[in-house]
Amino acid sequence: MRNAEKIPELYKTPFPHVIVKDFLDEQTLDLVTYALAGLEYDFDESDLFSYLSFGLTDVDHPVINILRDDLGDEFWRKKVAEKFGVKELSKIDLSAYVYGLGSFLLPHDDQVEGRIIAYSLHLTDIEMTEKMGGALDIYEADESGKSSLVKSIVPEYNSLIMFEVSDKSWHQVSEILADIQRLTVTGWYHG
Amino acid sequence: MADINFYYLEEATLSNLKRIFKSSDFPFVRLSKFLDIDSVKYSPKLMNEENIGYFKRQQGSAILEDFWKSKEFTNFLKGVTGLNSTFSSSKHLSYSAGDYSLLHTDESEPDRLAVVYDFTKNWRLEWGGYDLYTSPGKEPLICNRDYGSLMIVKLEKGDLSCTRYVSLKSKEEAVIDFVTYVLD
Repeated sequence: MRNAEKIPELYKTPFPHVIVKDFLDEQTLDLVTYALAGLEYDFDESDLFSYLSFGLTDVDHPVINILRDDLGDEFWRKKVAEKFGVKELSKIDLSAYVYGLGSFLLPHDDQVEGRIIAYSLHLTDIEMTEKMGGALDIYEADESGKSSLVKSIVPEYNSLIMFEVSDKSWHQVSEILADIQRLTVTGWYHG
Repeated sequence: MADINFYYLEEATLSNLKRIFKSSDFPFVRLSKFLDIDSVKYSPKLMNEENIGYFKRQQGSAILEDFWKSKEFTNFLKGVTGLNSTFSSSKHLSYSAGDYSLLHTDESEPDRLAVVYDFTKNWRLEWGGYDLYTSPGKEPLICNRDYGSLMIVKLEKGDLSCTRYVSLKSKEEAVIDFVTYVLD
C-alpha cells in the first residue's frame, strides 16, 4: 500500500518538480522489488538511451496491480493534479527500467501528446552516490539550446520523483559508472 | 597538404572500391590509412556547440579544408563513387566524454556524399562515439572510430545520422573532419 498520503511543496525551478520520500509501505516495497526482479527485461538501445526495460501498463499481476493503484488511483491522481495545478489526470502508464554499468538516457523533455506529469519511483536497494552515476539531472536551457545543469537528484530508495512535462522539462539519467543496477518504475500521468 | 595512400590510386583498387561502394543499402567505402597524415601538424581552434536534445560537441574549421576542396580529392571521390559531386561544406568536430549528437536529418539537404576522416587516437570501442547512419527500410551502418581512416557514404533525403554518446569513462576525444559534397 501507499505509505505517503501527502505531497511536499514543489520546487518551482527550472520546472515544477517534487520528491515524495517513503512512497510505499515496507511490505509492498518488498513485494514490488521481488516481483520486478523476476521479470525478463528487454535490452533497449537507441541514439538517446541504453537500458533494460519491461512494460507494465497492461500486466495483470497481483503485486503490479497494487503498485499501479498506489501510483495511479483516483485519490492520488487528484492529489498530484492539485499539487501541480493541472487539469484532471485520467490514467497512468508504467514501465520498469534497469540501468546497469554504461546505461544512460540523454537530455530530453518528455513531451509527447497526453503526458502531463512524469514520475519515477526509485527502487534501487542500495545507497546510491553521485559517483555511481544514475542521477536524474535537471537542466535549464535557453532559446538557443544551450543548457546548464541545475540539479542532480541522486535516487533514494522508495522515493517518487514527479515533474511537470513541458518544453522546459529537460532532464537526463546520467551514465551509470559503477557495477550497480538502478531500478525504477517510471511513466506518466496523462490528461 | 596530405597525400593519398598510393594504393588507393591504382586502377584495380579504384575498380574494386567502386564495386564495394554500390553493394549495400547505404553505399559506402571505408579506407584505412588513407592519407600520409603524420607530417601534417594541426591544433584546431574549437568552440563549444550545443543544442540540448540534438547535439553537444566542439566544432571548428576542418583541418584538411584545402585538401577536401582540391581537384586531387574530388577526382578521387568521383573515381570511387562514380558520381559527380560538388564540395558543399566541411568542419572539424570533437566529441569528448558526455558529448553526443542524436539521429537527425535535414529535409532541405539534397542527395549527398558524406566524407568523414578520422583523427581519433587510442580509442576504445566501449567508449561509444561511433557514427551511425540509418533510414527506414535500410540496414543501419555503424562506423567505429579508427585513426586515419576515411569513410565515404551516400546519403539520400530522409537518411538519418548521428555520433553515438561518448562515455564519461572516455579518456580521449572522438575527432573527425566532416565534409559534405552535393550530388550533381
